[in-house]
Amino acid sequence: MKFLQKRAQDGPEAPGVHQRRLWSFRPASDREAGDAVVSNLVLHWFPAKIYKPSLAWTYSFWLGTISGALFFLLILSGLPLMFLYIPSVERAYQSVKDIEYVVTFGWWLRAVHRIGAHLMVVSVVLHLARVFFTGAYKNGVGEGQRREWNWVIGVAMLLLTLFLSFTGYLLPWDQLAFWAVTVGTNIASSVPLVGPKIRELLIGGRAIEQATLIRFYVLHIIVLPGALGGLIAYHMWRIRKDGGLAIADGVGVLETARETEAVPSKTYTLLGVATGTAPSVRASSVEASDVTVNAVPDLTRRAMIVILGTFALISILASAIGSPLEEPANALVTPNPAKAPWYFLWLQEIVTDTTIKLGSFTINGAFLGGVILPGVLIALLTFWPWLDRSPRSVTGEWFPRSRRTQNLVFIAITLVIIAFTVVGLFLRGPYWHFYWPWEAWPGIPGRI
Amino acid sequence: MSDSQDPNRTDRRDFLFKLGTGAGIVAIAAQAGASLRSLVPNVTYDAPTTVKLGPPGEFPDGLKFLPDERVFVFRAGKTFHAISAVCTHLGCTVRAEALSRPEETTVQGQPLRLTHRFMCPCHGSKYSGDGTNVAGPAPKPLAWYRLSVSPDDGQLIVDLADEVDQSFRLTIA
Repeated sequence: MKFLQKRAQDGPEAPGVHQRRLWSFRPASDREAGDAVVSNLVLHWFPAKIYKPSLAWTYSFWLGTISGALFFLLILSGLPLMFLYIPSVERAYQSVKDIEYVVTFGWWLRAVHRIGAHLMVVSVVLHLARVFFTGAYKNGVGEGQRREWNWVIGVAMLLLTLFLSFTGYLLPWDQLAFWAVTVGTNIASSVPLVGPKIRELLIGGRAIEQATLIRFYVLHIIVLPGALGGLIAYHMWRIRKDGGLAIADGVGVLETARETEAVPSKTYTLLGVATGTAPSVRASSVEASDVTVNAVPDLTRRAMIVILGTFALISILASAIGSPLEEPANALVTPNPAKAPWYFLWLQEIVTDTTIKLGSFTINGAFLGGVILPGVLIALLTFWPWLDRSPRSVTGEWFPRSRRTQNLVFIAITLVIIAFTVVGLFLRGPYWHFYWPWEAWPGIPGRI
Repeated sequence: MSDSQDPNRTDRRDFLFKLGTGAGIVAIAAQAGASLRSLVPNVTYDAPTTVKLGPPGEFPDGLKFLPDERVFVFRAGKTFHAISAVCTHLGCTVRAEALSRPEETTVQGQPLRLTHRFMCPCHGSKYSGDGTNVAGPAPKPLAWYRLSVSPDDGQLIVDLADEVDQSFRLTIA
C-alpha cells in the first residue's frame, strides 16, 4: 500500500495510468526504467531490476549473449543467402560459386555466415565451460530453482548448434562437403542392427544424392533453427524462473530483514518472479538499491555493447577471411586427405584409432569412437548436475576449492579433445599419415 | 457452477470435453505420423548392381579401376577377379598403389599375384593386394564381387550385390 501512496505523489493521474506512452533507453526515474521493460516486447524478457554482480564482464564473459547475437546474425545473413542458393545437386555448387564470385557482396554475406557459424560453435562451447567452472547449473538459495534442467537444455542447444553447422557444411556441394557427410553418415550406419536404417533415413536413400541435399537444406533453414530458437526462449525464461544468474544467489538473500526505501512504482520483478515456484527471494532485497540496478539502461547498455561488438568483429573478419570452395562434389574421387569439419576432427582422430580386435571378432572404430564414446561424453555432460555433490554455497563461484577435482576432470577431457583436434587439423596428411608441420607431404596424384 | 448439481449435464460436458481433446490429440498424432512416415523412402533410385564393364579383351593385364562402380578389376591372362574400392571403415574410396615388386601368393587355395596394395585417404586404413585389411581402423577386408560373361554380347559383368570369397576367379577360355 505504501507504494500506492508514493505513486500518488508522482503525478496527478490515477494509479496505473501512465503519463507517457513511450519508453526510454535513458530513463529519468525508476518508474520510467520499469516502464521500458514492461512496455517493450524485446526488453520484456529482462527483469526490471538486476543484481549488480550479474553484469560483471569477468563473471559470465557474456558468452551466452554472444552466442545469441551470433544466432541472430546467422539468421540475418542466412536470409539473403536463401534467395541466392539453389538446393539441387545440379545447381547448388554453381549457385554458391555465383554467390562467391558474381553476386555483389555475396562473398561477404557467405563469409559472415560461415565465420559466424564457426564462432558460434566456439562461443557455445566456451559458454558451457563457463557454466561448468562456476557451477552455475547448481541450485543456490532460491526455492523452486531447476537450474539443472536449464543445463540439460543447454547441452541440447550445443548439439543443435553442431548439427546446424554440419547440415550447412553439405550445402555448397563441393568435395569438402560431400566427403565430410559421407564419413559422418557412415558413422551413423556403424551402429549395430539399426545403423544402416538410420543412415538411410538421414540421407533419404542409400547414396548421398538429391534426397540428402534437400533433407539437409530443410533441416538447416527451418527445423534446426526453429528448434534452437524455441530452446533459446525457454532457456531465457528458465533463467528468470531460477532467479537470474547463479552469481546473484549470494546477494539475493539478506542475512536479516532490513528496511529498504519504498519503491515509487510497481516493478515487473514482483509480478514476474514472486509467483509460486519462483525462488523465495525477498522482495526487499530485490528492491535494495545497494545491490541492484535498473535493467534499463544498465543491462541493456552492456547487452548492446556485446551484440554490437560481436556484429562488428564478424563483419571485419568476414572482410578479411575468404570462404573456401573446393571442386564440385565427386562421388568417384575421395580427396586425400579427407578431413571432417574442425569441431569433428577429434572424433575423426578417435574413429581412426579405436578399431578393436578381440580374436576373430572386430569392433569397427566408427561405432566405438563415433557412437559409443561421444554418446558416453554427452550422457556424462547431461547428467553432471546430478553427479555433482559440492555444497550449494559455491554456486556461481569460479573454481571453488570444493569443486577442484571435477573441474580438473573437465579440463583434462577438454585438453584431450583439443589435442586430438590439433593433431587432426595440422598433423595429418595424405592417407591420414602423421606429418610434422615442417615435413612436406609427398606428392599424391589426385586421381588414380 | 450450478450446473455441477445436475449429474447428467456434467457428464455430457465432460464427455464432449474429452471427445474434443481426444479428437485433437488423434488429429495431431495422425498428422505427425503421416509427416514422419513420408520421410521414409519407399523407393530408392539406386544405380543398378549388375553392370556391363565392356569386352574382357579390353582389360589390361593387371589392374583397372572403374570409378563409377567403385571397383578394381584384375586380370592375369585369362582369369579375372574384382575387388571393391569401398573402404570397410567409413565408405571412402581407397586408392591402389603399385607394389615395387609383385608377390606370388596363395589365397584360399588359389594362386594370386599381388601387384598392388590399397590405402584409404580418410583414416589411413591399409589393405594388401587381396583386399585383406592389414593396418588402420578398417574392421574387415575389401569385398570381392562376382564376375561373369554376358551371354548376349560377351561383355564382362560385375554383380555388386553378390559378394564372393577370395578364391573366386572368372576364367575365360
